[in-house]
Amino acid sequence: MNVDNIQNMVEKDGIIFLSYGGFLTQTLISGMTEALEKEAEYNELSMSISTNIYTIFIELSQNVMNYSKTRQANCKEVKSEGLIVVGKDKDNSYYIHSQNIITKDDKDKIEPKLIELLTMNHDEIKKRYRELRRSGRDKHGKGGGIGFYEIAKRSDEIKFEFKEINEDKFYFHFISKININKDN
Amino acid sequence: MENLIIEETKYTPSIKLNVQNRTIELIGKSYPENTFEFYKPMMDWIESYFNNNEDKDETTTVNVEIIYFNSSSSKLFFDFFDLIEEAHNKGKSIEVLWVYDEENESALEAGEDFKEDFEDINFTLVKKSLFICLSNCEELLGGYSRELIGCR
Repeated sequence: MNVDNIQNMVEKDGIIFLSYGGFLTQTLISGMTEALEKEAEYNELSMSISTNIYTIFIELSQNVMNYSKTRQANCKEVKSEGLIVVGKDKDNSYYIHSQNIITKDDKDKIEPKLIELLTMNHDEIKKRYRELRRSGRDKHGKGGGIGFYEIAKRSDEIKFEFKEINEDKFYFHFISKININKDN
Repeated sequence: MENLIIEETKYTPSIKLNVQNRTIELIGKSYPENTFEFYKPMMDWIESYFNNNEDKDETTTVNVEIIYFNSSSSKLFFDFFDLIEEAHNKGKSIEVLWVYDEENESALEAGEDFKEDFEDINFTLVKKSLFICLSNCEELLGGYSRELIGCR
């Protein structure tokens, strides 16, 4: 185990304030959110930027946590670890990555929604978010409901990719970027 | 009917539901693991409070100050305001104060969206600094301080 490799990786791609790979639990998510609050305070981030970062972080990490819980409940094969990384780019924007393993069925459900999200502007996303919240669709759904709209609403850029592991399993990698220097 | 108090945690707000004072208060962050289960006692309490409360002239004050929340809490708050609107439409007198920090744009925006979604409710967005002043001044100024922030 070479800690220097990790240190180098952290320094090379800008400053990562938080990186975790493994099983995610609510207590852990809450502890990491606390760490993010300390970082935001230290970096003197505005309250608007920092609450956007916390919300996106919570949404993505709870997605990973809830996804693995549903899989467990359905007695399907469980691989519940996820990867979550929060950092700051050289251009002063913040980024949050999440990655976990999902089935092909779930990829087929999420992918069209995300592809559509990429074509929508901020106002359209906000409008859709409120429509979905009002309609109560996916009401007790865990993730995949209004969660991605919540993230997109608060991000300046979102990206995602599905990487095939085998015909039934994919890595789902999601990226959210938040700029600090905004016009308004 | 008993009052209901749920202490604040790192990921759930402080909830204070008080029959005598006619206040419903939620303050803090909201990202529980199981949002609907967590808020069920509060939702049940509110439903029976408005069903039992026959005294229509007395106003119930709802103070909500949520710093940030996850998307399932956002849905839950929608259902929460839906309950309030239903009680309002049955003739209950209710005022909602959505308290936000001036620097927290997303809390203000969330309040604006709820205010628009529930047009029937007497819904006021209040800056936190003004709200603290209001709470402190109320004893001295009585109803006058409420008029200052636009509540009736």
